[in-house]
Amino acid sequence: MRFAKRGWIGLGIIIGGYLVAAGWVWTHSAPLIPDRPVTIRIAHWQVEAGPPDGMDAVIKRYEQLNPRVRVLQQLIPGIVYKQWMRTNLASGSGADIIEWGAWLEGVRDVPARYFEPVTEALGQPNPYNKGTVLEKTPWQKTFKDNLQGSRNDSPDPGQIFGVTMTECSVRLFCNRQLLREATGSEHVPQTFDEMRKIFLQLDAYSQRTGHRVMGIAGAKDNAEWLLQYLLMDTTLGLNFSIDDSGMLSMYNRQVLAAYLDGRWNWSRPEVRAGLELLRDVGRHMKPGFLQLQRDEATREFLAGDALFIFTGTWDATSLKRLASFEVGALRFPQPAKDDPIAGPYLIGRFQDGGGVTAMAMHLTKNSAHKAEALDFMRFMTSLEGQQLFTDGSGWLPATLEVKIPPAIQSFVSPLDGYTMCQPYSIIGSTVTMEFERNLHLLLGQNGSVDRYVAELDRVMPAAVRADLQTEVSSTLITLRAQDARMIAQARLSGPTQEGIYHAGQRALMESGQTLAEATTMQMMRQLKTAGPAE
Amino acid sequence: MLTVPRVTPLPYLRCLYPLILLLSALSGRAAPAPDLPTAWNDIADSKAKLALVKLGRADTSDRAVQLARATASLDDQPVSDGDLRRAEATFAQLAQGHDELAEQAAYLQARVWQIHLAQPDYARAAELYRALAERNPRSHWAQLGLVKLALVQLYALPDPADPAARLAGAAALLSRVTEPTLQRDLQLQLGQAGIFYKQPLPSIIAHLVAADRIGGTPGAAGEDLILQIGELSLRAGDYATSRAYFERYLRDYEVNPRCFTVKEKLQQIAAHEAAAKGGRP
Repeated sequence: MRFAKRGWIGLGIIIGGYLVAAGWVWTHSAPLIPDRPVTIRIAHWQVEAGPPDGMDAVIKRYEQLNPRVRVLQQLIPGIVYKQWMRTNLASGSGADIIEWGAWLEGVRDVPARYFEPVTEALGQPNPYNKGTVLEKTPWQKTFKDNLQGSRNDSPDPGQIFGVTMTECSVRLFCNRQLLREATGSEHVPQTFDEMRKIFLQLDAYSQRTGHRVMGIAGAKDNAEWLLQYLLMDTTLGLNFSIDDSGMLSMYNRQVLAAYLDGRWNWSRPEVRAGLELLRDVGRHMKPGFLQLQRDEATREFLAGDALFIFTGTWDATSLKRLASFEVGALRFPQPAKDDPIAGPYLIGRFQDGGGVTAMAMHLTKNSAHKAEALDFMRFMTSLEGQQLFTDGSGWLPATLEVKIPPAIQSFVSPLDGYTMCQPYSIIGSTVTMEFERNLHLLLGQNGSVDRYVAELDRVMPAAVRADLQTEVSSTLITLRAQDARMIAQARLSGPTQEGIYHAGQRALMESGQTLAEATTMQMMRQLKTAGPAE
Repeated sequence: MLTVPRVTPLPYLRCLYPLILLLSALSGRAAPAPDLPTAWNDIADSKAKLALVKLGRADTSDRAVQLARATASLDDQPVSDGDLRRAEATFAQLAQGHDELAEQAAYLQARVWQIHLAQPDYARAAELYRALAERNPRSHWAQLGLVKLALVQLYALPDPADPAARLAGAAALLSRVTEPTLQRDLQLQLGQAGIFYKQPLPSIIAHLVAADRIGGTPGAAGEDLILQIGELSLRAGDYATSRAYFERYLRDYEVNPRCFTVKEKLQQIAAHEAAAKGGRP
């Protein structure tokens, strides 16, 4: 009897649990029968405040125009994005449109394997631009940079895989109210030296009020971005001097190869000057900032405990929405030629962002609804789609002729500087890791430029070799796969329209492969023959 | 490592195979021929596993099916050296024929030795490219093989040690490459190799200009090429060529951030030209 009673209780718990689970699934899952015939999904990692709202606005309008299609936005946090992308694409269950970037380590082979080139469509006008000034402009030419980033990152030179949504720059965000209180003026720093003077005024303000206010909100991420920025400034002349190819810009592999050739090292005065500038600014970040992540710097700035925060415009919407004060976005003041630290190495202003568009979206090869997905890509990058995205996200548009709201006008960087710059701290993942791992030798309590560069020059030869080797390995994966695809295109070639298309694809792939193969073989030879150390 | 689910029937359906075979034998029909165009489409689409399922495993004397299977196996991840050696043997056998299929097989055989095997054999690859070009000099695959042979000579083979001799050896192949796009690609690579080996600027520029004259260099490389000719000509003191290419760059790529630098370069040229005329910049 007692056993039977306990059995009924157990059964009741099981049934209850089942009903709760069923109710949860019923109310929280997608409808069993889709409300529209076609559903497409777009996935990206821009989970900051702004972009999801902008994309929602684009989707809402698109669904009005296309009642057959439902568009779902998938927000995937950056920390798991690569794993998510790899797993979903390999299993064939990836979203129809996916964000990808060439700097994501370990997924360089993804475009060639899983994305569909959109080159042909880009040669035609975007139908969603009908009735606008871009009506007759080929889709590719409607982007501010003609998709330069997507062209550079393409595994098949000649093919374009991604269309972009925005343009980013880095800015010095300012708490204007605090600036007035601390300096008695609304004047923002125009030069590096003026910024130094404001930092001194801030120290006096802190002593006067008893409220300790730092010059710049501190965190490891923000310090690294700042270091990249400052190094770009001081190493501009060095970069021009090692540009053997005459491209007036340097690819990462070229900077790495020049290091192996002994053309530069971290002890170079230009590099040391950049590091010295960071130490100069680092003194105005709170102690221990190297242990903190970017969220902590944002919190410090929003709490009014720091006058400035140095970050990309990708954080701008979050800052503006969450701040209880007016936030100004300034171009970071670049040192002038009379600067005691950087002056001797400066050759002119460098380009602080802008010019190259980003947030590249790609069409998945396995999409069950390629035509609809491509159509949505056209809409989201059309004049109307980009206006909706810009207004909703607070991010700059990638498309020409979009009206930029006054609130974000200051994010636009005029093309008024050199672009040769190469951030020496991010030229390869192992190099970056060593750079970051040893940053305490520069910015820690007993840190110095001497200690930092001595350690970097000790560990970097191996790190540079590792990064070049990674570059070789990942390119070889793409090259090998292309052999099979090229022969397949040749076998499918013929006099029909489809056959002619395949012949064109084969020719394009052959030229692209030769370009990439030659570069890879150069790197292999470099690794085999060049110093300074194994 | 990438894994793509293998498309196989449910295991318990295997018990029906004998019955299917018996029925097909009784009906006097052979097993359906593999759907080659669909399989090639799959290979072109990076779906080698799917292609291999469609191609089946039955022994066949059909050379096209053999080529398709061996080609797909090059991209059927994970690929082992054993897989590659089997594919290489198939390519070698197919290369004995006298048709385009044989040329494609011969080309792929050389590619296996050059870039597919974990330990490449560049000398063997070079030998196979040469043999293909001697047998069918006008074949597209032989012509493409000559471009690859040039790359192997420029960067991979141990000899000659002297960079100028390497370049001369590769440049000697130019006269045998008659297809314009491949001629362009080879000219471009000779120019880039000249830069890599720090050869005199005039010879580098000559190759780059020759590549540009043929035109159609794909992607960002086409844009880089114009700048390279402009900048290297400036360094060589050929201001007229430099000006022409920099001005062309500003016309063709007006939105590129490098335009700022190009405008600065044009000012430098103007200063040089003025100085040469004895005037002030």
